[in-house]
Amino acid sequence: MSTADKIDPVTLTVIWNALMSIAEELGITLRNTAFSEGVREGDDFSTAIFDRNACLVAQGNFSPGHLGSMPAVAKHVLEYFPPKALRPGDSILLNDSFLGSGHFPDTFQVMPVFVDDEMIGMVACSAHQVDMGGAAPGSQQVHGITEAFQEGLRILPVRFVRGGEIQEDILRLVLGNVRMPDKVRGDLLAQHTANMSAATRLEKLFRDYGTDIIDQAYKTFLDRSEQTMRTALAKVPAGKYSFEDYLDDYGPSTDPVKIAVDVTFDGKGTVEVDFSRSSDAVPAAINSYINYTRAYAIFAIKVFCDALQPQNEGNMRPIKVTAREGSFFNPRFPAPSGGRAAVQIRIFDAINGAIAQALPHRAMGAFSHWSNPNIGGIDDRTGRPFVMYDVGLAGYGGRAGRDGVEALSPVMNCSNIPVEVHETNNPVLVHRLELLPDTGGAGRWRGGCGLRKDVELLAARATLSLLGDRHRFAPYGLNGGETGTKAESLLNPDRNAMALGSKEIREISRGDVVSLRLSGAGGYGPPSERDRAAIAEDIVDGYVTLAFAAAKYGYRA
Amino acid sequence: MISLAFDIGGTFTDFVLFDRRADRTWFLKVPSTPKAPEKAVLAGIDEILRKADIELAAVDMVMHATTVATNAIIERKGANVGLVTTEGFRDILIIGRQKRYETYDLYIDKPAPLLKRRHIHEVRERVAYDGTVLKPLDPASVETAIDALCKSAHETVAVSLLHAYANPSHEHEIRSRILQRAPHIAVSISSEVSPKFREYERTNTTVANAYIKPLVDRYVALLQSALSDRGYRHDLFIMQSSGGLVAPDLAREYPIRIVESGPAAGVLMCADVGRQEGFNQVITFDMGGTTAKLGAVDEGKPALVPSFEVDPIRYKKGSGLPINAPALELIEIGAGGGSVARVEQGMIAVGPESAGSEPGPACYGRGGKRATVTDANLVLGYIDPGYFNGGAIKLDRAAAEAAIIEDLAGPLELGVGEAAWGAHLIATKNMEHAMRLVSVERGRDPRRCVLVAFGGAGPLHAARLARLIGIPTVVVPLGAGVGSAVGLLQADPRIDVTVTRVLRLDMSTDDAIAAIYGGLKIQAEQELRHLKAAHQVRWSRYAYMRYAGQGFEIQVDLPDGDISTGYAELAVEAFHESYARKHRWAERGAAVEGVDWVLVATVPAGSHGGLRLEGAVNDSNQARAPVRKAWFPEKGGFTETRVVDRRALSALGSLRGPAIVEDPDCTVVILPGDTVHISSAGNLRIDVSLEERHS
Repeated sequence: MSTADKIDPVTLTVIWNALMSIAEELGITLRNTAFSEGVREGDDFSTAIFDRNACLVAQGNFSPGHLGSMPAVAKHVLEYFPPKALRPGDSILLNDSFLGSGHFPDTFQVMPVFVDDEMIGMVACSAHQVDMGGAAPGSQQVHGITEAFQEGLRILPVRFVRGGEIQEDILRLVLGNVRMPDKVRGDLLAQHTANMSAATRLEKLFRDYGTDIIDQAYKTFLDRSEQTMRTALAKVPAGKYSFEDYLDDYGPSTDPVKIAVDVTFDGKGTVEVDFSRSSDAVPAAINSYINYTRAYAIFAIKVFCDALQPQNEGNMRPIKVTAREGSFFNPRFPAPSGGRAAVQIRIFDAINGAIAQALPHRAMGAFSHWSNPNIGGIDDRTGRPFVMYDVGLAGYGGRAGRDGVEALSPVMNCSNIPVEVHETNNPVLVHRLELLPDTGGAGRWRGGCGLRKDVELLAARATLSLLGDRHRFAPYGLNGGETGTKAESLLNPDRNAMALGSKEIREISRGDVVSLRLSGAGGYGPPSERDRAAIAEDIVDGYVTLAFAAAKYGYRA
Repeated sequence: MISLAFDIGGTFTDFVLFDRRADRTWFLKVPSTPKAPEKAVLAGIDEILRKADIELAAVDMVMHATTVATNAIIERKGANVGLVTTEGFRDILIIGRQKRYETYDLYIDKPAPLLKRRHIHEVRERVAYDGTVLKPLDPASVETAIDALCKSAHETVAVSLLHAYANPSHEHEIRSRILQRAPHIAVSISSEVSPKFREYERTNTTVANAYIKPLVDRYVALLQSALSDRGYRHDLFIMQSSGGLVAPDLAREYPIRIVESGPAAGVLMCADVGRQEGFNQVITFDMGGTTAKLGAVDEGKPALVPSFEVDPIRYKKGSGLPINAPALELIEIGAGGGSVARVEQGMIAVGPESAGSEPGPACYGRGGKRATVTDANLVLGYIDPGYFNGGAIKLDRAAAEAAIIEDLAGPLELGVGEAAWGAHLIATKNMEHAMRLVSVERGRDPRRCVLVAFGGAGPLHAARLARLIGIPTVVVPLGAGVGSAVGLLQADPRIDVTVTRVLRLDMSTDDAIAAIYGGLKIQAEQELRHLKAAHQVRWSRYAYMRYAGQGFEIQVDLPDGDISTGYAELAVEAFHESYARKHRWAERGAAVEGVDWVLVATVPAGSHGGLRLEGAVNDSNQARAPVRKAWFPEKGGFTETRVVDRRALSALGSLRGPAIVEDPDCTVVILPGDTVHISSAGNLRIDVSLEERHS
């Protein structure tokens, strides 16, 4: 074994691979033992490994929003629990919006890891709980919420596990405040179980190689990751690139929210992403706390500059993310934020729009905006409460050289929940789940289609809370590509259809059908340059109609 | 009883002929003929029978494992397939499950579906999750769909309706109507091919079945008639992914069941070797040119999974097409002899990219310039350049060294030995990660396992891998190079039937379980009629179960015997035990659900344990040097290492590492501190010293 100042590449590789596999297995265990749909079907969770100073060294390949929040979470935990206050077998629980990933449903568990009573690092995971109490099932109601205290139970860091014993008092306190205590309990325990298996492996790694070697390896990974990121950033032409777009509103009859970003590359290997020119924080639960803003801004930069390198604190160092304090993208507590997931796609879209000026061949048309509705109430069949947590995911924007992908998870990376699973678990009947023709923005490379999902309530009553956007501002096209169509949300589309706001909350009753029609994605390049054969294929496959092709492309059969 | 088995692989087609009465076995390896796989098969059959001086008419059983079905999907060379589905759900297949297999890569594309949107047609109907018909099937919409199918000239069609697993009547009606109007169309319906919930996976499975059906049908028919022309009078059995054999009629109807045919046979071979050596718990390790496959045998039974993915990208989960068909549990990773080694960010990366056999590793001298695992193994002295694959391929050591220096040693400022060692170790470490998933992460204790290694490169890496993971014994069977064909001889004909019925289990559910299994038994008996040898059927049951509210199920073996009062309680107890084994905790008292119910019918026929493998596949019989320099970090690098021919090993008793044992099929590396001997069953057995530390 080499001396501490220069670690050999073989050892380095072995330690690196071990860390990646520990972080990944932590996530697999969590997914397979979790109870909530968001975690087990939606992959709405994340995992991380830290050094003893809460510096992020490795993450599993899961939800980027949680991933990007992780570095701050561990540091906050050490502020509440300095290393000397922590003991083997302890684990810290929190869900605070400011300390964590920006809304209460994401619970973090951070477990210190020890070798012979010396703390050598921490493992952590987050999971989107199905409910954390508050005004509406799912704890994501946007409209009518003016401060975080209405959104459910807020947990500042607490010692949830002490010396290996789960603190039943704390658990009871939590479960007494949530709508689905069985599921939340199951997920909290699943998080703990998953952390334990990772902690065991991390401890073994330290025992096998020794703290000196591993410290050296950590330093080397972080420095190299930073260097790789700097090299990539330095290749982007220097300059300040700005972009503006708008969220529809923050609830029925409210004003649009301005999303303005300035992205400055210095040409030497750093970038600053500043959202300060955006609107002020709004009195509705959709504000994006700085951890969350930072998470998706870093995600966007990584996508453009360094997609495949595993994320750690090193490659985040050259990326500075700022937003004026008190603004929509850096609110002060207790700004409400339950529905902030609606925003992440737009953080990316805005940065993409800015970077398109510097890297036209890397950027793409805007995404179809996703939707994240919850329907919750009492299931008449069982007398038990239910929450149907759903994700609607449609097309990608067109990009240089290819059409936008149809119906793929944008930005955050989750799976949909099968219709047959929803109908088995919840009193709902899905009438349609299909692509919408003529919705993708026209272009040399067209945008992906919007998506329609119609869901009928079979229970007597329930609360519907919608979380969508792009009802008023269509997804933009790039370099001459056209916008996609706007989204629509309708109640009972086949009988006296009623238009709903994108963040509507309302009571619905048996037989009501909620029809969500997501926007189409933006096109890329002038429609006049589209290949005729591609248009013909689209018509045969029903992605566009002949009439649309005639109008947008001047196409004749 | 004379049995003939053959396995078509990407590079070679392997044959084993076994005459039980005479207690004699013959092997053969011939190059595969991918464009017309039957050519290699028939040529090989003629040759091995000639060698043994046996007529095909005297053979009692012919068994076959094939990649015909897999390749058709991977190369997208299946038939022009149409799909009929429920109105409103035309895009299930195109939407998929929507997760990116690379989080940070927004430029990826989805796996290409097996058909285009234009070939998907809707019918008006709706069934609820519990099988209730909410909207009867509208005949006019069926006629319209069939018109469209006929217009597109499909020879094969899939029908997959929502919740058809709970009530198949609409799928049955549609099939009979299609067959009335267009009898030439082959119809696959989801309630038969994959009666399980989650519509995307079920639909994809059904479409894949339809997609490969014409091709597999023609291939099997051709083989059957060619065999019968040569005088064969019995059934041709085909290996399913589940590790059970199936009659040709069923393989032609449900070709999706034979997609993982070859790998399954390899696992069966390992199970049998485990039995011979007295191990209940086996980890199987097959490493070839492109990939390594790891599997497991529990309590003597190969572990099954309910689904798998075909054609994944870079072996990433979620990047392939999901197939619901029971398959032996295998994790496949891109680590093989041909895997390319390179430097990324100052570290060594190996695979998943492979140099394959064309151009191949640099040492093949066929134009490959990039360093591969085989090049590293040659530089490290593990492989004899003059005796690779029994001397059939001469290797160029200088070319291997040049590639290692150029790609690894130079950029990393390492010596050529250190760099080659790095590539070897990282390849092994990648497999260690996969093996950890198969063992520790699934509740299998490595200290109680045996590692059975086969494939061209498996035995070379096996001892190091075992030491890393903590497995005390490695076995390299005779015939390791034709492992899958040998495995075929161990197989039994087997039928798996399944259905999804989500049931919360308590005292009142005994009758419901009995009804489910009553239905499954009728279905299984229908399929058993295709097996001529169907006497002495052995029945077993298992289910996929979970805590009520969870979304992932675990496999639980259910008790045999009558299903009467108290059965649900026994099932719940079995679940708690399995759950605790897998996840290290269980919550007794929490409600438990059964989700998928499976009935298995097995017809004992395999030649378990009867086989004695002697002789070798290729053999140049040349004299070789008794020592050469090989790299062992425990010895500080290159060290004089003893080289022994496997056939000479029994005379030596036991041999202590470092050493290299050469077999014409493969090379076995024995680490310092380990010992090796030939077991009474004729297998090479390594006792791994777990005390030795690696670096």
